[in-house]
Amino acid sequence: MDFTVRAATKEDCKDIWRMITELAVYEKMADQVKISPEDLERDGFGQNPLFECLVVEVPEEQKSTDGFIVVGYALYFYTYSTWTGVCVHLEDLYVMPHFRGNGIGKSLLSKVAQIAKQKQCARLQLCALEWNTPSRDFYAYKGAQDLTATEGWHMLRFDGHTLDSLAQEDAKGS
Amino acid sequence: MARFILRKAEPKDVSDILRLIKELAKFEEMEEKVILTEKDLLEDGFGDHPFYHCLVAEVPEDQCSEGSTVIGFAMYYFTYDPWIGKLLYLEDFFVMHQYRGLGIGSHILKVLSETAVKTRCSSMHFIVAENNSKSIEFYKRRGAADLSSEEGWRLFEIDKKDLLKMSSQ
Repeated sequence: MDFTVRAATKEDCKDIWRMITELAVYEKMADQVKISPEDLERDGFGQNPLFECLVVEVPEEQKSTDGFIVVGYALYFYTYSTWTGVCVHLEDLYVMPHFRGNGIGKSLLSKVAQIAKQKQCARLQLCALEWNTPSRDFYAYKGAQDLTATEGWHMLRFDGHTLDSLAQEDAKGS
Repeated sequence: MARFILRKAEPKDVSDILRLIKELAKFEEMEEKVILTEKDLLEDGFGDHPFYHCLVAEVPEDQCSEGSTVIGFAMYYFTYDPWIGKLLYLEDFFVMHQYRGLGIGSHILKVLSETAVKTRCSSMHFIVAENNSKSIEFYKRRGAADLSSEEGWRLFEIDKKDLLKMSSQ
């Protein structure tokens, strides 16, 4: 199968949003997608982008049954480790089901790794769900270590009303 | 009641920040993993394109026993969740042992959450080692959700040698 991996432009936001939603459905969390294509454009293609994105395109004659030629994406951003400095965090990597098994996922991951290398990043981090064996196997095959298993790291979050409460809390001693 | 101030870190603070990073890493039993230098911190935090933001907690000179007045810090940056948008990610958060229990940590967390709300972040995320029960309790008391336990999220890392291998494939 022919395909190209390229940097996303703001014109890709509708396609990126479509695939974000498809990935959320796969992760059984479709109701949690709150952003719009316009949010993506403002956040990723403005003056201080919060993320970078790669998209995968296939030729017109190989387009999906619904007529899409953008069939995969990888969304990532830079983070900072106080141990090693700048890192890349791969937030989303997705290929439409019909186009899997053709090396597209591998190519996307490789391209993100090239970018990490260019920026002299010490590591690439990502999160995957416990039950998502196909993804976990894919990353393990590429050398990923499961830090939750080996070092016991847990992800925590404050959001919505817990974040608001914290912001309004009267701190003792201040 | 301790008197302290919380302020934005300045370039002159990098040596204190590195000292506190190493103290936190020692507490996490990972001291040898800190390879960052003061020069890295200076370039990465105070250059044209900062990769992180930092708050430092300072006590008056008459309250510090070991030379420096900087006794705590929090390092954060902005990340992105494709479902909800901009997030504040708390990378490191540490108060020196002898200054704990005085409300400094609580105040740092409050200022961070105010920052998150003011800068249009939907959420504040961070990771904690599961054996660090004191920290987990501190966060849970304030409403934090443990996404690893509740939703099954696991943290993965691909290190440099495997990145190099992949990037040349």
